Amino acid sequence: MTETSHVLDDALVAEVLSVALASGAGFAEIYAERRRSRAVGLDDGRVEDVVSGLDLGAGVRVVDGLRTGYAYTNVLSRESLLDAARAAAAAVQGSARVRVADLTEVVAPVRHPVERDPLAADGPALAALCRRAEDAARSEDAAIVQVAVRYADIVQGVFLANSEGHRSTEERVRTRLVTQAVAARDGEIQTAHEAPGGAVGHELFDAHPPESIGSRAARRAVTLLDADPAPVGELPVVLAPGSGGVLFHEACGHGMEADLVAKEASVYAGRRGERIGTEAVSVVDDASLVGHWGSYGLDDEGQPAQRTVLFDAGVCTDYLSDRVRAAQLGVPRSGNGRRQSYAHLPIPRMTNTFIVPGGEDPEAVVAGVEHGLYCDALGGGQVNPATGEFVFGVDLAHVIEGGERTRAVRGANLVGDGPTVLASVGAVASDFDVRQGICGKDGQGVPAGLGNPTLLLERITVGGTGA
Amino acid sequence: MSELTDVLDRVLTQALPGEALEVYGVDRAETTVRAQDGDVESLSRSRSRGVGIRVLADGAFGYAHTSDLGEEALAATLAAARRNAAAADPDEANVLPDAADAAPLAGLLDPTAAEVGVDERVALALELEAAVRAAGPPAKGVDAAIVGDGIGEEAIATTSGIRDRVERSEAYALVEALCEAESGATSALGVRFTRSPRTLDVAGAAAEAVERAARLLGGRKPPSGALTVVLDPQVTAELLGVLTGALNAEAVQRGRSLFAGRVGERLAPAHVTLVDDGRHPEGPSSAPRDGEGVPTGRTVLLEGGVLAGFLHDSRSAAREGTASTGNAVRRGHQGPPSVGPSNGYLEPGTASPEALLAEAGEAFYCQQVMGLHSGADPASGQISVGASGLMVRDGALAEPVREATIAGTIPDLLAGIVAVGRDLRFVPVAGGMGGQTLLVDGLTLSGS
Repeated sequence: MTETSHVLDDALVAEVLSVALASGAGFAEIYAERRRSRAVGLDDGRVEDVVSGLDLGAGVRVVDGLRTGYAYTNVLSRESLLDAARAAAAAVQGSARVRVADLTEVVAPVRHPVERDPLAADGPALAALCRRAEDAARSEDAAIVQVAVRYADIVQGVFLANSEGHRSTEERVRTRLVTQAVAARDGEIQTAHEAPGGAVGHELFDAHPPESIGSRAARRAVTLLDADPAPVGELPVVLAPGSGGVLFHEACGHGMEADLVAKEASVYAGRRGERIGTEAVSVVDDASLVGHWGSYGLDDEGQPAQRTVLFDAGVCTDYLSDRVRAAQLGVPRSGNGRRQSYAHLPIPRMTNTFIVPGGEDPEAVVAGVEHGLYCDALGGGQVNPATGEFVFGVDLAHVIEGGERTRAVRGANLVGDGPTVLASVGAVASDFDVRQGICGKDGQGVPAGLGNPTLLLERITVGGTGA
Repeated sequence: MSELTDVLDRVLTQALPGEALEVYGVDRAETTVRAQDGDVESLSRSRSRGVGIRVLADGAFGYAHTSDLGEEALAATLAAARRNAAAADPDEANVLPDAADAAPLAGLLDPTAAEVGVDERVALALELEAAVRAAGPPAKGVDAAIVGDGIGEEAIATTSGIRDRVERSEAYALVEALCEAESGATSALGVRFTRSPRTLDVAGAAAEAVERAARLLGGRKPPSGALTVVLDPQVTAELLGVLTGALNAEAVQRGRSLFAGRVGERLAPAHVTLVDDGRHPEGPSSAPRDGEGVPTGRTVLLEGGVLAGFLHDSRSAAREGTASTGNAVRRGHQGPPSVGPSNGYLEPGTASPEALLAEAGEAFYCQQVMGLHSGADPASGQISVGASGLMVRDGALAEPVREATIAGTIPDLLAGIVAVGRDLRFVPVAGGMGGQTLLVDGLTLSGS
């Protein structure tokens, strides 16, 4: 390749970092990135958007205590990098007299190897993958009137170096296929989508053939056509494996991010060691899971990926931290400093967040409910971390009567707050599944893995249109 | 012209016979200051540039983009766009719009934006954060206090003869205030949007956030039932974002809108007129041309309550033999344009917010909604979102309410609009949508 490289040589790094430290800050860092992305969109039977791109840039960060200066550029010349270093330094007036340490290469303890390089597949091959998902969705049921498929891959090269002598490079590959099916009958329209992905190449399609992605989306859209309005009230709710991870991500994960804790904008601030949930519930964040959607080797500050226990058998345990917030709270760095791109500052973020499986039989969890709701698929949700309050759309659910799953219902949402949900977790089963999302915070979107076994929430508010 | 238009022109000269090209570029400088506890938490500065190339060959579009504007990278990007077009399917509706005159639009660039120094921006962010703490209990601080601004240019050039360049500036103040009492904590947003940091009312944003957070303290779940709902302007704007998603011709043509085939039908009372205006003087999304260079304009979507039409770009318009409404939207240079709203709003009525509360008598005042992106579906028309706000009793705001749900459908919401307030305001957090106080019947509120 003749393109500009994002990997900078040691002499330039040392020069840029020295300029960045000139105003007396205690720490300086360069994050440079080269991102190749591709997307293929199929809609209405046609492959109509084939997009590819190159994004190259670098940010210089200067930190002194709680004060951060940041400047970025997408011109990787010496002059531009020095300009960025001066602009970042100008934001921080410190009294430290730090020298740039000699750079030593840091290697991630965990790698996410790609078996089948996505870039080996050309545009027509990617279009063929989309068509396979579409064909399967359309042939699933006569009620399927429209299908949209979107394939995406990215290859992100990250170069990091800092004044403490850290230097590292990492290549992150992610692949995803999203299928949305539209079902219509008698003037009524319902949609459903499936969107598996991972920090993997095209081996994604061994676990999730495009046909199964398409037909799963189509089946759910058709089921929704026949669904009744969901019941309303305070009910026991069983979450299907994989469907409920997003709820714990929003209601329990965000409040454990150390920036919100430090600002006392979290309902979990100052509560480490306190029992908040039932003994059945343990919540973990793990960026080191090989090939998962939210995984990496090193975080966007160069800290190794790790497993962090947020709630251990109901007890509030460890916060998710980056460099600045770990120092502020006096806790170890957990390797959760993430950024969307070189245009953003790292902040504490979740990676793959999940409920640890328990020992119950999934069928027995449902059988134990006299009257309640079984959530097959949750939509997105939103939380106010200050209060812990959340709202989740339920894409598809079934009413549980006498321990049996009965009719399908739609239009429900789950309303509550994180601590109350943790305190209402009853039986937790031994099965497990994951979903993939893009988590938004402070205007930055990053891939987030979500997972849970079948589990029972003994009592939660279900809102909706039904009676 | 500028460095950016030079780059665009150079790419355009490489068009091959039988191929149409569109080249779009942005060059922008941004500054963002976050304040916390009386100090700067972060100060971020940037200059970023990028170019996107769209090729139309043999009836198929291909797109490629780059942030590297060197000759080699641009050549590689053009080659990639051609390869991408070869992998896409042809469509008779794929066209690049012809050149047409667009009236200039004043006010997009405030010249004072370029004069504002870093110290002045820092002072504004500190003032924003300090104003929340200075309000005193129950206000205890901020979750975020941000002053940000951007200044730059966008340009487009096509082989069909379009050449345009727009300079614009934006500035915003955004603060999330935290309030605390024995009953618990609450938070609420205060936002201001202008064209220069110098005209930002940071004290107003802080006061708005504190007032809105404080009045939610001690909220309880409401009783369930069908109730008159008064929507806050911010909520109205967010719901209009969902509604305009269903009034998008692309969604209609692809069977993803509940409004397909319903032009001419009455959907709302006669006092409801919904407009998309790409040239509104206060609209955050205003521009003389849209994302593919078509002059922007004013499109009436609901005329006196009757569905009048849909938003189009050139491709969706070509499918129906109609004209683009100038609603091709771009999110930067990293993707092709697609159909979307510019500044959407309901024509303001005559009633003040106070008069609407008085008219409501007993109602729920919905100050904020949660979960809108998953809880409101432009295809099925279902709405089911979390809400917090205050009860309205005897025509005035009364006790706070939390963890409520508002449910209904988009047709219920439209048909149930009893009155439209006069307090139209554009809220940058809701795209380009504007909102005002709205009095609505026919939604279900549920809580305990």
